Amino acid sequence: MVLEARGLTHSFGERLALAGVDLTVRPGVLTGLLGPNGAGKTTLMRVLLGIIDPDAGEVLLDGRPVQFADRQRWGYMPQERGLYPAMTAGGQLTYFARVHGLDRSTAQERARALLAELGLGDRFDSKAEQLSGGMQQRLQLGTALVHDPDVIVLDEPFAGLDPVAVEELTVTLRARVAAGRTVLLSSHQLDLVQDLCEEIVMVDHGRTVLAGPVAQLRAASGRRQLRLGMPGHDGRDWLAAFPGVVVVDEAADALRLSLPPDVDALAVLDAARRTAPVVDFGLDLPTLSQLFLAAAGEGSDAADAASLSGGAEVHA
Amino acid sequence: MTTGFWAGVRLVAGRAIAEAWASKSWRIITAVSVLVGIALVVVPRVLADDTTEYTLATVGQAPPALLTALEAAGAAGEFEVTVRTVPDAQAAEALLRDGDADAALTGVGQGAILYVSERADGTFPALVSQAALALAITDQLAQAGLSPAEIARVQATPPPEQVPVGRVADEGRAGVGFVSGILLYLALILTGTAIATAVATEKSSRISEVLLTAMRPTQLLVGTVLGVGLLGLVQIAAIGIPAAIGLASGGGIDLPAATTGDILLAVGWFVLGLALYAFVFAALGALVDKPTEVGAATMPANILLVASYMFAVIVTIQDPNGAASTTASMLPVSAPLVMPIRWASGLVPTQAGA
Repeated sequence: MVLEARGLTHSFGERLALAGVDLTVRPGVLTGLLGPNGAGKTTLMRVLLGIIDPDAGEVLLDGRPVQFADRQRWGYMPQERGLYPAMTAGGQLTYFARVHGLDRSTAQERARALLAELGLGDRFDSKAEQLSGGMQQRLQLGTALVHDPDVIVLDEPFAGLDPVAVEELTVTLRARVAAGRTVLLSSHQLDLVQDLCEEIVMVDHGRTVLAGPVAQLRAASGRRQLRLGMPGHDGRDWLAAFPGVVVVDEAADALRLSLPPDVDALAVLDAARRTAPVVDFGLDLPTLSQLFLAAAGEGSDAADAASLSGGAEVHA
Repeated sequence: MTTGFWAGVRLVAGRAIAEAWASKSWRIITAVSVLVGIALVVVPRVLADDTTEYTLATVGQAPPALLTALEAAGAAGEFEVTVRTVPDAQAAEALLRDGDADAALTGVGQGAILYVSERADGTFPALVSQAALALAITDQLAQAGLSPAEIARVQATPPPEQVPVGRVADEGRAGVGFVSGILLYLALILTGTAIATAVATEKSSRISEVLLTAMRPTQLLVGTVLGVGLLGLVQIAAIGIPAAIGLASGGGIDLPAATTGDILLAVGWFVLGLALYAFVFAALGALVDKPTEVGAATMPANILLVASYMFAVIVTIQDPNGAASTTASMLPVSAPLVMPIRWASGLVPTQAGA
């Protein structure tokens, strides 16, 4: 199912949290909702989930307005984690499955299967408060997945996870994506998710600033840099054929070139090889945080940049 | 929507109940409540069980008729009389001074003296005095030539009937009212706070957000109120039912003659009031972001409850049928506390609702 937001606007009193956000999440494509803290990600997700009503705009599912009944087939994991501390792991999953309309026996079946998948197979009867932090995180994810939802919305699922847990979570989510579910996750750590998400939507100050497939966005950026190892060759004449290409660094034997969006990196490489032997080369694509800074423009300050690239350290 | 309205409500309420049932603390509190309920009835009875004993000293052998009269009065007034015979008035006074007797009688006829201990309350000396007087009158009537049957007829003249007016004269009833007042007040405030805390906890942990994606807010609200409210009712019943059974199975306190309808009315009144407060507390609990802020948020409702409670135990117990009590028992916010106490006083007309 295709989840879409069209021109969503929402304000809390004077403060405009969403200023006309557009978003498309297609099934089978892991989509990331990215932006710095306070960009409006959580508000956007809460509007998508129907927890708060937008001032303007609409949420569409397969092109038609979302109904209350549709959302029974959705799964949501909010940013602030919360479980019933005195309830057992199995009890919680069964409860949330039944809240989403499953009957008791199906709900219990699903709860057992999901706990096994999340590595909590022997914890069905353990109380949530007796589980470790990492186990509680997985149980929390379980409450969003137990009813096998068509649409899965996760708010900052990677926050506070170690690299191993990030990998496990990624595997769990990829299985849903491969099964054709519509999955949207948010993160303020742009560079953490750039290898996980296939498509991204970047928001800043309540607006969509960049959206599309990650690979395409990075490749089409004007911030690509070509690195060429041409020992003993100092001539730059061959570059005249490529207007717009700028030398940014000439340290030692490595030449670093900045390529405008319309220049084919491979053509530059070929030209270099015709001029002199190239012993080493590489094309550096901009990181998502660099893309974000370029897209957000002057609006972003240094603090944003720090928050984007070093999120875990900065916010831990 | 796959889940019907009431199915969702049942789910939410069932979860709250199941969680409480599984928790050790809840079971302990309920068990303690049952014990408190039993203690409320048993303890006063045990304390009241030692029947008052009075000692009467008589100079010389007391007339048998006097003793018979005192024993009869003792059976009715729940006290026992021990009689000690002393040789003279000095010995009688000594007994009184040492606290070994409550009253001493030198005779029954003309010139007889009743020595009274300072400790003895007015009842016993008055009874002795009355019995002695009756005996003297009987003697004189016999001397005047009345036949025993005529004397009996004279003595059978009943005293004027006593009818309590206005204030509740019966301390037992007032006690029932007072205890119900405390129980109802505690029940409302504890249940209300529990509901507000449950709502605030779900809100702060964002569980309510997850639930709200699949449920109507009304389902969540009604389910929480029903679940936590029922738990509260169970605990009131845990205290109230043993206490009520104890009271009803005979005891020092005479419950007002109430029909089943009266009781149902009183219980129904309270449950309606509990429901009203439950929703108010739930709404107040939803206003805060942290469970620790519940106290401040529910302050307005608490103040209303305290005011109603104070009114109920200060005004209503004293004057259950006054205009103020009648009004307060009809006002939704104070009705759950005031009406059951008026019922306990036995003075609510059956058409009170009209």
